[in-house]
Amino acid sequence: MAEKVTHSICVGGPIAIHTENGTIRRVRPIVFDDSVAKGWVIKARGKEFTPDRKTSPAFIAFTEKNRAYSYDRIRYPMIREDFVETPDGKNRNTENRGKSGYRRASWDEALDLVAREVKRLQAAYGKETITACTGSHHSWGLLGYKLSAFARFFRMMGYTAIMDNPDSWEGFTWGAPHTYGYYWRLGGTEAFDLLEDGLQNVETMVMWSHDPDTTRGGYAGNESCLWRQWLDKLGVQFIYIDPFNNFSSIKQADKWFGPRPGTDAALCEAIAYVWITEGLYDKDYIAKHAHRFDEWADYIIGNGTDRIAKTPKWGEIETGIPAADIKAFARRWGTTKTMGGSGLRGGFGGVCRTANGTEFARLMVQLFAMQGMGKPGSNIWSGSTGAPMDYNFWFGGYSDPLSQIANAPIADKTAVNPVKQFLYRPNVPDAILDGHYEWYGNGFCGGGIDLEFVEHIYPEVGCNKVHMFWRYGGTFMGTMLDTNKWVRMYKSPELEFVVNQDIHFHGEARFADVILPACTNLERYDIGEYCNSGNGGYQSHSQTGCSWQVVVFQDKAIEPLWESQSDYWIFANVAERLGFGAEYTEGRTELEWCKRFWEKSDLRDRVSWEDFTKKGYYIPPCPEDHERHYGFRWFAEGYPCDTPNHKNFQEEGKLGTFTGKFEFVSESLLYWAPDDEVRTPIATYKPSWEGHHSIKARKYPFHLISPHPRFDYHTQHNSSTPWIWEIPENRKYINGNPYLIARVHPTKAAEKGIKEGDMIELFNERGSVVCVAHITYRVEPNTIHAYGSSGIYNPTIPGETSTDIGGCVNVLSPGRLIGDKVPGMAPNSTLMDVRKYEGELPDSQLFEDKLDKVAFDGESDTASCKEIIEGHGFEKLQSLVRAKYQEGARG
Amino acid sequence: MRYGIAVDTAKCMACYCCFTVCKDEHCGFAGKYSAAQPMMGQFWINIVERERGDSSRRTKVETIPLLCSHCEDPACLKASRDGAVYKREDGIVIIDPEKSKGQSAIVEACPTGAVFWNEELEIPQKCTMCAELLDDPEYLAYLGDPKLKRPRCVEACPNRALIFGDLDDPDSDINKFIAAGKVTPLSGLEGQKTNVVHLNIPTVFLAGTVYRPVAEEEVAIGAKVKLTSAETEEVWETETNYFGDWEVEGLPKNKPIDIEITFDGFETVNLSAVTDTDHYVAQTYLEAK
Repeated sequence: MAEKVTHSICVGGPIAIHTENGTIRRVRPIVFDDSVAKGWVIKARGKEFTPDRKTSPAFIAFTEKNRAYSYDRIRYPMIREDFVETPDGKNRNTENRGKSGYRRASWDEALDLVAREVKRLQAAYGKETITACTGSHHSWGLLGYKLSAFARFFRMMGYTAIMDNPDSWEGFTWGAPHTYGYYWRLGGTEAFDLLEDGLQNVETMVMWSHDPDTTRGGYAGNESCLWRQWLDKLGVQFIYIDPFNNFSSIKQADKWFGPRPGTDAALCEAIAYVWITEGLYDKDYIAKHAHRFDEWADYIIGNGTDRIAKTPKWGEIETGIPAADIKAFARRWGTTKTMGGSGLRGGFGGVCRTANGTEFARLMVQLFAMQGMGKPGSNIWSGSTGAPMDYNFWFGGYSDPLSQIANAPIADKTAVNPVKQFLYRPNVPDAILDGHYEWYGNGFCGGGIDLEFVEHIYPEVGCNKVHMFWRYGGTFMGTMLDTNKWVRMYKSPELEFVVNQDIHFHGEARFADVILPACTNLERYDIGEYCNSGNGGYQSHSQTGCSWQVVVFQDKAIEPLWESQSDYWIFANVAERLGFGAEYTEGRTELEWCKRFWEKSDLRDRVSWEDFTKKGYYIPPCPEDHERHYGFRWFAEGYPCDTPNHKNFQEEGKLGTFTGKFEFVSESLLYWAPDDEVRTPIATYKPSWEGHHSIKARKYPFHLISPHPRFDYHTQHNSSTPWIWEIPENRKYINGNPYLIARVHPTKAAEKGIKEGDMIELFNERGSVVCVAHITYRVEPNTIHAYGSSGIYNPTIPGETSTDIGGCVNVLSPGRLIGDKVPGMAPNSTLMDVRKYEGELPDSQLFEDKLDKVAFDGESDTASCKEIIEGHGFEKLQSLVRAKYQEGARG
Repeated sequence: MRYGIAVDTAKCMACYCCFTVCKDEHCGFAGKYSAAQPMMGQFWINIVERERGDSSRRTKVETIPLLCSHCEDPACLKASRDGAVYKREDGIVIIDPEKSKGQSAIVEACPTGAVFWNEELEIPQKCTMCAELLDDPEYLAYLGDPKLKRPRCVEACPNRALIFGDLDDPDSDINKFIAAGKVTPLSGLEGQKTNVVHLNIPTVFLAGTVYRPVAEEEVAIGAKVKLTSAETEEVWETETNYFGDWEVEGLPKNKPIDIEITFDGFETVNLSAVTDTDHYVAQTYLEAK
């Protein structure tokens, strides 16, 4: 069988791609040959543990062939059919965005139009009038990812940059640094070598709002599954706390607690009450390392200003967990070596994306501090990071400024954005619609706690408003909140011109005036390392979520499909039209840029460019006597900090707080925000602004939790991969529409007359979403679970804020920020109601049909979507089979 | 040489890697041993997730990767005509994509539902154990023994839940793997020899929690829990753990079970349950003697 094998990385992990005659045949994990050195061996409790000699990508990685040939690929440049290029930018039928069809355009026509509009707008309003924003992780690679090709282009052109909010770890970013520093890791701790520590020492794992088999180390595939299997086999007790008895929990938990959503901080306080009253904490450690512990302890035992003792009974009333169980939990934690944390790096998890998320994050850190954080077997470590690695091998990750083509030394010349105006991502619609927005904080505040309090105003003094939006990659319909406000924004004439540059025709592309088709990772060159998001940044050494370090030459497996082009090609060609083409490319091809990353990293010392590109990947060995730098051990044991990516003051035994200690009363908050009622100097449980104490709860009594998805990543996979529509825990395929599963407790389902498999409508004042009911004991009666970030945004009336049938539950979640001075999102503070849905629903409302319309409306020689797919051989049977299948489902 | 796959249902985390690579290998691509799998509606390896329990207090899941068992004496072969189903020398059961045309009896004969009907081509289809790849001398990936390649599903499994190998070799990894677990045939295949061997499929659990008297708001740790089946005369003994929880897994199905909970200084509590399905029996509150 004559197959060409190339390699790549996607957000699901590294893959080997087999192609036959220019068509992708299969996508496999990378299985190592004998040239790859022996993997690490961890010796623990009389056993030896070593990983399998292959990469273990997530199942989403194995959909890459399907996604490349997907029915919803954007196949050629398109222009909205009722878009009029008026000279003043007015009267452009913007109200029809989202519902209008498109006509096919040539690349020249589309790029010329984009360049003309850029010049017109810049002349009229200045460079700040253009804004642009990326999604995250729709592609992988140091050249093509958002901080590289995109950033270089827009910084050279000048634009109003949009600050990302730390959407996956809000509460930790905005909370935890005030307790223990680590602002440079956005509130997350350091997990170096804690896998070894865990295997050797831990007795209890507290998996708080953590579903490791679902969130998969972020971008680490299924690498850590075996580690938890090993821990389980060693008899380590797994206690899961999550309003949803999640997929890791239901299979592996020794105990599951489902607190009422948003009350986790109350559970923390009740645990602390038990420890304080029963003396079950490390008093020496606290005496040495805690700041103003006694004041906080006073508050816990009922001597605070509220005069309420945070007893287990009090905890029971808020959380719904029996007081006896809370006591038992506190004692187990307080008397055994316990590691754990929230979410995949100990500082993530749906719980931190609630109205009380900062306070939970701070309290959780305080609990681990009380148990001597950093001592063997006692740490924040949630079993999905911290594998051994060779820290002396450096290859950049995407957030490393040294590893971006926007900057030297990869580029000869660093691109600098001359515009000083910003927007803030969660509130872009508010800013556009209201013409004014103000907020605190720089989004990602890795540079210092003070950055949380920087005042921002839009429009910036002396700046004009934004009138052009260039969206690149991925869709916010399904990842950002209050989806319908984005719909309203796109229909506003304030946005005179909207460009969308993406691979697939996902929910947001349909709101653009011009659509530019980008190709997938498999159709262009790039270079990158598995799960390496940066070795000096906010997720430093995230590749320790993998069992191997895998640097991959992301070879071009096939030529770009249809008329798509690489993002780099698109930017270079617009730059050319705007007069900075040569500066943008510096005369380099994409392959030559890739070589720069090899040249400027330690890779050059290990393997020649020729050998590397021929083999396709390089795996730095991790010698048996590799340096160990156990996370946080330096602090507990009082030696100068030796962990990678540390700050100077850590070498003096200090944390990154004002006092260098665990601050149980935060001096940084007393300094910057003493009157903030959302995030108080003493971290306290506060009922959510949208929770069971809200007036709204009378009307909308259910909590919706919409955590990071198991069957998707940033909405990229469900839309393009019909295979996964038939996974029963994900979706149900009815009448040509794949409906998302929503989980309802049996007693509430019975009250509402809802049966397994019924169509149900989740609704509140923001909108409604039709899902399919799964009746299950895996949620408590007060909670309904439906995954976020896995919607196929699909409103019944396109372009309107109508009922969604694609499972975009973000329609329901609040667009407001956690607090005035806490600019985080809180999707898991959503109230809503549910009812059986018996109304009419459109059949077969798939993008495929819409794209066919575009094709048929276009030039006469344009083939339909189905024909083009069939022309590529791969999905030959798909259309026919699906048509039959739909008939069957209807019958 | 008899190729087999051992499936440890206890280790399967339902990650859907096997499911997806199977689609990747067979959807839209015909081979020597099979016509193309349709894009939708067929699952040559499927993950059957069954939630267990009747209370949020204790819910577990049974996770069964379900594929053709490649039976020693296949019912589908017996139901077929004209040699449409045959066994290779290595034990892999193949449905000939041409000879089987129109033979829907092959689908109906399978006791586990692992054979699918292709409406368009009017043929039965199922797992080939990736026979074509196993036969290909150039298909290079391996783990361990370079002479022994693996089906796609086994290669992609991150949990060591699927193990491939030679069942005739007593020293093979697959035989060691099977010996370390408990063989639990799929429903409908009891007593039959199969080349796909399922391990550790659970039967029924009973569970509960024991608390000290209500007013104390304390769990009872170390209470003795004794389960008895009068019918089989079997006895299971356990103790409540640090959460006051007790649980007995692997009980025989459809038996009445007597439960006796004893704790020094408190009245004995007697409960009963039937193992028709998994039950969280009770939150039991002790009363002082």
